Amino acid sequence: MPNYNYRGITLSIPDNDSEYKGYFEAAGEGRLVVKKCSDCGLLRGEPGPGCPWCTSINWEWQQVSGKGTIYSYQVVAHTVIPSFRDLTPFAIVLVELDEQRGEPDEFDGLRITGNLVDADFNMEKEENVGIGKRVEVAFQPVEDGFMLPQWRLIDEPDQGFTWSHEAPEG
Amino acid sequence: MAGNPRDKYCIVGVGETEYSRASGRTTRAMGAEAIRNAMNDAGLTPDDVDGMLSYHGGDSTPSTSIQYDLGIRPNFYMDCSGGGSSTEALVGLAIGAIEAGMCDVVAIFRSMNGYSNIRIGGTGARASAPIGGLDLMKRPYGLISAVQQFSYTFTRHMAEYGVKSEDLAAIKAAHSNHASNNPKALMKHRVTVDDVMNSRWIIRPVAHLLDCCLETDNATCVIVTSAERARDLKHKPIYVKGVQGRGTKPGGDFHYQHGPISRVAGHYVGPRVFDLAGVKHEDVDITGCYDAFTYTVLLQFEDYGWCEKGEGKDYVTSGIINLGGKRPNNLSGGHLCEGYTHGMNMVIENVRQLRGTVDDYCPGALEGDHTYDYSEGGCRQVQDAKISMNMGWGTPAVGSSLIMGNVLS
Repeated sequence: MPNYNYRGITLSIPDNDSEYKGYFEAAGEGRLVVKKCSDCGLLRGEPGPGCPWCTSINWEWQQVSGKGTIYSYQVVAHTVIPSFRDLTPFAIVLVELDEQRGEPDEFDGLRITGNLVDADFNMEKEENVGIGKRVEVAFQPVEDGFMLPQWRLIDEPDQGFTWSHEAPEG
Repeated sequence: MAGNPRDKYCIVGVGETEYSRASGRTTRAMGAEAIRNAMNDAGLTPDDVDGMLSYHGGDSTPSTSIQYDLGIRPNFYMDCSGGGSSTEALVGLAIGAIEAGMCDVVAIFRSMNGYSNIRIGGTGARASAPIGGLDLMKRPYGLISAVQQFSYTFTRHMAEYGVKSEDLAAIKAAHSNHASNNPKALMKHRVTVDDVMNSRWIIRPVAHLLDCCLETDNATCVIVTSAERARDLKHKPIYVKGVQGRGTKPGGDFHYQHGPISRVAGHYVGPRVFDLAGVKHEDVDITGCYDAFTYTVLLQFEDYGWCEKGEGKDYVTSGIINLGGKRPNNLSGGHLCEGYTHGMNMVIENVRQLRGTVDDYCPGALEGDHTYDYSEGGCRQVQDAKISMNMGWGTPAVGSSLIMGNVLS
């Protein structure tokens, strides 16, 4: 893939990037994918080269529904990245996908990072972020067909453990 | 566990440079000074030191340069990649190298212009550098700094166990009280819980500015040798009772894919180091619990078993960790107040505490003549401390621990 530029940051995804290239190629087509072990069949949230459960190095990309629940989050009030300063405060969320939740062990899940954004890909208001909120992937166009997976709130009841901090006023 | 080296090895020398935000010199120059200070502290010459170990994140100077600057010729050296929790682990590796017969005396150093050159937080030009690999999943979302890398764990823990910002602020207040009695500390003034709460937010809901440590320019060094050799040197030998790490959680860098996300590496490191050292929690007089952020302290106290999971907020606000308390923590002020060194200053402090020669404001401090007046600008030497425990933090998933003592078991 060529290099892409997002908010002044050069994203370099060389052809030998066996972990992330396929992930972003699929995102460019509007599909969220994870790696699936070709032997034991388990999915993994981090697209690494081996299966954490059976050590198989045979894998294939698998499309997932793109729906999930906020598992944890952080609201960036101060950023050290100059090109993100105009966005603060903004939320970064760890989303637990609906697929394979609590499997193979109780605390396991497929967890992916992104920003919580609104319909126009502006950062979602801080008071709307919270653990347990339901979200859906949204692909933010960057350049030349490259899209960045982001997350949007959807109108579904909160799921599982729920919590949110008190956002400051104003 | 085969080959438990309990009491067979000692820390015999400690040294550091000034903690500043403008060293005005290279990591090579600082590293040489810190090692020299530690050799002088121990009463060792360059001919005596035949091992060197360092750790770095691409921000230091190799042993093979600094050996020239001090006239040291190592029979063994390694410059390891690593940050927090490396100090403790390298004490273990130094013991291993001596045990293997590769060398006799090892100087372990860390040198970093952590404010004036390469800042851990990735601040400035580094934040806009081209990225690839794992960073692709984080940086485009604005996730870069250390506190951000840890914050999924912090937030989820806060949510599950009802931790308040005030609880975290109490840690900073305690450490600042300690630093106020430390002539070397970069930030010497005492701060209150309100001061922390009123400092600007960095990452909500887990870190105000004063919950974060001080990026610092400094070099630090500790010297390890056999207990036999230590008996002929300048100071009371400080014995290594047990050392463990760097140990990790399942999943390592991707620990948040497994769980529980609010558990940290101390859960795995702790039982092993206590077992190696042959001590129990109640035997420990002082702790050095890595304070990159206030939250790292609270999490480690829980997972090393100083309290039940979820009760860290009570432990850190109980007075136990304060100077004059039952088991004070980070008596130099730690990373939050003395300076950020990737953990070595907390080991150095505990060595001096166990020797009884803390460099506080007592006129006779270096001779071990202390007032034990813990008011501001006074003493910070703990009376009759015999056992210390350091708990180094790399990430939520990575940790090391070192238990030391000033008497044989």
